[in-house]
Parts: sequence; C-alpha cells; structure tokens
Amino acid sequence: MIEITNLHKAYGELEVLKGIDVRIEAGEVVSVIGPSGSGKSTLLRCINQLEEATSGRIVVNGHDLCARGTNINLVRAEIGMVFQSFNLFPHLTVLENVTLGPRKVRRMPVKAANDVARRVLEKVGLSGKIDAYPSQLSGGQQQRVAIARSLALSPKAILFDEPTSALDPELVGEVLSVMRDLANEGMTMVVVTHEMSFARDVADRVIFMDGGHIVEDGPPKEVFKAPKSPRLKDFLRHVVQH
Amino acid sequence: MSNFEFDWSAVFQAVPALVKGAELTVVITFGGLFFGFIIGVTAGWMKLAGNMVSKAVANFYIEAIRGTPFIVQVMFLYFGVPLALGFRIPPLVAAIIALSLNAGAYIAEIVRGAIQSIDRGQTEAGRSIGLTAPQAMRYVIWPQAFRRMLPALGNQFIISLKDTSILVVIGVGELTRTGQEVIAYNFRAFEVWFAVAVIYFVMTFSVAQIIKYMERR
Ligand SMILES: Nc1ncnc2c1ncn2[C@@H]1O[C@H](COP(=O)(O)OP(=O)(O)OP(=O)(O)O)[C@@H](O)[C@H]1O
Ligand SMILES: [Mg+2]
Repeated sequence: MIEITNLHKAYGELEVLKGIDVRIEAGEVVSVIGPSGSGKSTLLRCINQLEEATSGRIVVNGHDLCARGTNINLVRAEIGMVFQSFNLFPHLTVLENVTLGPRKVRRMPVKAANDVARRVLEKVGLSGKIDAYPSQLSGGQQQRVAIARSLALSPKAILFDEPTSALDPELVGEVLSVMRDLANEGMTMVVVTHEMSFARDVADRVIFMDGGHIVEDGPPKEVFKAPKSPRLKDFLRHVVQH
Repeated sequence: MSNFEFDWSAVFQAVPALVKGAELTVVITFGGLFFGFIIGVTAGWMKLAGNMVSKAVANFYIEAIRGTPFIVQVMFLYFGVPLALGFRIPPLVAAIIALSLNAGAYIAEIVRGAIQSIDRGQTEAGRSIGLTAPQAMRYVIWPQAFRRMLPALGNQFIISLKDTSILVVIGVGELTRTGQEVIAYNFRAFEVWFAVAVIYFVMTFSVAQIIKYMERR
C-alpha cells in the first residue's frame, strides 16, 4: 500500500529524515510516536508530497511518487490527510467543504457529490450540521468534518497528523471514536499521535521515531511493554508522566 | 468681514454642468479601477509566484508608481510619452491609463498582502484533497483573500476617485475641471468649489457605504 525506501529529507542544511524504510500494508493502522522535532510530520507530508523528498523512493498504491508522469493530484486524492489544526475551508459550509474534492477532483455532478457528502457526514455523526460554517462548530466537530472531507474521496489510506492535539480534552474522545470506527472498517491509517491509549488499543503497529530515524517498529504490545532502545524507554517514561 | 453673501442661484445654475463632470469622474474612476484591478492582480501574483524576472518587473513597476506623484505620472504619460511614440493620446484615454497604472500598483500590494495572509494550511488542505495548484487558488485561497481585500480595495477606490481631480492638468472635463470652467464665467469661487466638494463627498461616502455593506455579507 505505502512503501518507503531510504527516504531522506533536508531543509537546507538541516537533515530531518535520515533514511526511512517502511512498508505499510492495506488495512493496517500504524501509529507514529516520537519526541517533538523527530520528523513525524515531515514523514507524513512526504507521503502525500506536501513536501518533496530530497532522495529515496515512495510508492503509494502502485504509483511511484517521484516518477515522471505520475499524476500527483490524483494520488493525493487517494490519500486523505487530517491536520492538527483541522484546516477546514472557513468560507464554505460543511457540505461545501466535503463536496469540493468530489466535485472538482472527481468531477462528480453536484447531486452525486451531495449524496456522498451526506453519507460520510452521517458516518462522523454530523448530519445535522450540513449548512453550518466551520466557525460555528466546536473543535471536535471541525475535526470530524475534516475526516469526512477526506472520506468523501474514498481514499485508500488516511494520514493523521496529531488530530487531537489542538482539542480540549473533553472533545478528544469523539474524534478518537470516529477514528476507531474507521480502523475497524479496515481503513489504512497512519496516525501521528500523542494519545498513547489510541496507539496501544487501536493500532496494529507502532513506529517510534527519533532524530530522523525509525528507532523501533512493532506491535503495540512489544513497543510499549518491552521497549528495546533506551531512547524509547526514556520517551515512554516522559509521556506516561504527562 | 466683507459683505459676502452665499449665492444659491450660482450653485443651482452650476449643478447641471457639475453633474456632467461628476459623471465623467465616475467613468474614469470605474475604468481606471477596472483595469487597475486586472493590472494589480497580475502584478501581485507575479510578485508572489513569478520567477526572478517577473518578480523584478513587478517590483520595479510598483516602486516606480508608489515613489512618484500621480500628477507627474499623468503629465509624463500625456505630454511626455507621445513625443516618444510620435502620436497623441486622447485625454480621456490617457486619464484612464494613468489611473489604471497608478491604482494597479497599490492594488498589487493589496492583493499580495491578502493572499499571503491566508494560512498555509489552507493551500495544504486543498492540495491534500487533490486540487491542482490553480484549483486551490481559485476555490480555496482567492475567495478568502478577496474578502480580506475589500476594505483596502474600498479605500483605494476612494483615493482613486479623488485623484481624478488631478487630471485637470490634462484638461479632461471631469468634476474639478468643470468647476474651474464654471467659475471662469460666473466668478463664484466659494459657491462652486463648495458644490464640487459636496459632490465629491457624496460619491466617496456612497462608495464607503457600499463597501461596508459588502463586508458585512
Ligand atoms: N518547512 C520547514 N523548514 C525548515 N525546517 C523545518 C520545516 N518543517 C519542519 N522543519 C524542521 O524539521 C524538524 C522535524 O519537524 P517535524 O514537524 O517533522 O517534527 P515532528 O516530529 O512532527 O514534531 P512535533 O511533534 O513537534 O510535531 C524540526 O526540527 C523542524 O524545525
Ligand atoms: Mg508534527
């Protein structure tokens, strides 16, 4: 599904990803954890080419992202992305936010796009908010609209970059529960998160990044119960304390 | 005090001519801002997204206009440029070109500032659902940026409208020029300039109200 080989990414002198190798199978839910600045966001952003890799190979769903002739826009439409700060389009209603992709990228007629939007909005529990503007919604509702916006394009995978970090604690649960439903339905998910409970209970696999490397990669049981590297041990101690 | 008396009849007699002048002021303003907007969007976009050459061209244009008085720009275009071209430019055409070029430079900065003020996350969200860069600009960035431009555009509209008075120097029969002509035969400077001022004020005030209304929507 997603295959990354020897991925390097540098901003000028600063090397942020120092050779990432990872394979993510269809239907897998992978949590990425690690300290701030370790390159988690950068890795996600390389997967859907919001950042261009300095070197290495990324193959998504059979499309080599670095190859000439790959239509990157169509590949992006197949990989959803959910941002920490939601990034809903504030000038559009909830329905318009969700239909923009289907209409302009998939070239669906308005009515079909609206049907798709209603279906995915129901899935995230927001059927009643179709005509609201993002500013009229709580953070948790906005994030669920953002998930619906990705789902409307029937993505093969969805990338989440700290989807609950900007939320008030009491709103985290509603977003995690939508994500849990998606995981149970077999959606391929890569989730950068500080929610260790999600990583432990929902993820099939946990990747620990530090300093631009993948330091550990395994099932949550192994990674959390029997961390091998001192850095992961240290990280887990800090996280548990908070 | 002198025994000055405000002569209302002088105002009433002047009104038809002044209204005609005001109409031309409106025509020049709208024409100038229409083309100024096109120039401004182009130059603003060149500065944002262009290569080194187009950035330099846009910058030179913007700085040259902002760094020189409008009256000099008008005279250069109307009296100077024809000498190089070998043919005259009709005053009304020169007026609209001058105003377009002048407003365009300021509008370029307004456009650039508004587009830059839109959070990067908006473009990223747009691209992440598969929109191409032009689509993201058109459906995501531009509508938000345009709303942010409105106050500054309204302000520029009012400035440009008042700047048309400078076009007296090339003899375009707009409101100020008409005022001068009326005074030339009735000698009622106080009444006529007062009436001219009132008409300018009514026009700028109306524009301000329209912009306020648009901002609220
Ligand atoms: N556009 C950029 N230009 C320059 N440096 C950048 C850029 N984006 C990220 N970086 C740097 O790259 C490093 C890794 O950033 P990244 O956002 O991937 O970390 P992260 O693991 O997601 O951290 P966090 O948990 O704080 O989100 C950081 O040192 C950051 O300052
Ligand atoms: Mg991050």
